[in-house]
Amino acid sequence: MPTALIGTVFESHLRLGFFKKLNGNFLIICSVLHTSRPLHTTQQCLAPLPPLPEKGGEVRYGLIPEEFFQFLYPKTGVTGPYMLGTGLVLYLLSKEIYVINHETVAAACILSVIIYGVKKYGSDVAAFADKLNEEKVAKALAVKNEAIKDLETAIEREKKEQWRVEGRNYLFDAKRNNIAMLLETNYRERLLTVYNEVKKRLDYQVAMQNLKRQKEQDHMIHWVEKNVVQSITPQQQKESIAKCILDLKALSKSAQAAV
Amino acid sequence: MNLSFFDQFASPYFLGIPLILLSMLFPALLFPTPNNRWITNRLSTIQLWSLHSITKQLMTPLNKKGHKWALILTSLTTLLLTINLLGLLPYTFTPTTQLSMNMALAFPLWLATLLTGLRNQPSISLGHLLPEGTPTPLIPALIMIETTSLLIRPLALGVRLTANLTAGHLLIQLISTAITALLPIMPTVSILTTSILFLLTILEVAVAMIQAYVFVLLLSLYLQENI
Repeated sequence: MPTALIGTVFESHLRLGFFKKLNGNFLIICSVLHTSRPLHTTQQCLAPLPPLPEKGGEVRYGLIPEEFFQFLYPKTGVTGPYMLGTGLVLYLLSKEIYVINHETVAAACILSVIIYGVKKYGSDVAAFADKLNEEKVAKALAVKNEAIKDLETAIEREKKEQWRVEGRNYLFDAKRNNIAMLLETNYRERLLTVYNEVKKRLDYQVAMQNLKRQKEQDHMIHWVEKNVVQSITPQQQKESIAKCILDLKALSKSAQAAV
Repeated sequence: MNLSFFDQFASPYFLGIPLILLSMLFPALLFPTPNNRWITNRLSTIQLWSLHSITKQLMTPLNKKGHKWALILTSLTTLLLTINLLGLLPYTFTPTTQLSMNMALAFPLWLATLLTGLRNQPSISLGHLLPEGTPTPLIPALIMIETTSLLIRPLALGVRLTANLTAGHLLIQLISTAITALLPIMPTVSILTTSILFLLTILEVAVAMIQAYVFVLLLSLYLQENI
């Protein structure tokens, strides 16, 4: 990209006729830009990489790839590679290209130690590496399963809440009935209170009227009696008493006669 | 080709081209770079796991400032381990048998720890020269002894590694020479000596790993004192 930009700038300069002056500089600057471009810092292809093969290449005796034996099989059969190997070893030994010296013994020793170690612990190490990878994958899977489980429990809870909502109507009905009853009771109580209050006031009025009439009656009687008593003169009193005595005598005579 | 006992310690040349740098850098080729995949093959997994274990082991006793040394100490461990183990193969050259290489590794790293301590916390650093609880009359002598022990540390580090590996390699050569010489004369003794060589080889494998670990462990200990 930078080269393209600078290239276009210089191209425009060239078009303006600064051909001779800038041509050399153009090449130098372009070459400098090429060396200052960064080297590969990421993989070149951004597409998903293909998966790794399950097993490594097949190897015989830990060193020689199986393909070599397959390569020699059409011409020399099964024993071909072995004959080749034996012949090579014998050639090296007989011509003393490889000299047997003390290092041969040391080589035999260290190689036997290495082979023994690999044979004994190789599968364990491989299983350990597989276990490490398995744990890595299992951790990620555990996170995923945990998330799935959480979402499932959330779904169940949501369904339960929806079921609860359906039963909400019954609850509301019952509550409504309760409230209606309470209102009714309250209304009736208040009616009773009103009735009692009104009755109290009416009783009071009645009692007032009765009292008033009673008082009037008493007052009238008292007044009549007072006036009558006042009107009785002393003489009238004597005459009435004498008359009463005469009546009594006459009555006593008739009474005695009746007995 | 006829070999003497010390040919294995000669700096390797091929057609006049020194191969010493190549032999020192070759172990780096044996470790695949960790790539971008999440699940890697067995070799990369084990390599990553072992690097993590080494780093954890080295960095646990250090405080936060010491964690700056993680990269150099872990890579040093891996380098020494690989060089030592590769040197046990026949006809190989082991760079760590050269005193020059070991001193070149030990001296600057030790000096770095010392200067870090003297620069950042000089009194604590110098205080390490006197162990706790020493009786008062012994203090002058003990300070001199501790200073000597401090100054001899890089020498000890380098020479320890060199001597162990050189001695081991020489022993292997000598005993295998004895086996080769005795084989036509007294085969039974030769076979007994072969069993000794077998045990020695196992010991040398152990020594190779332990010496690499001890080198880096001591450096981390010197770092702990000073950081």
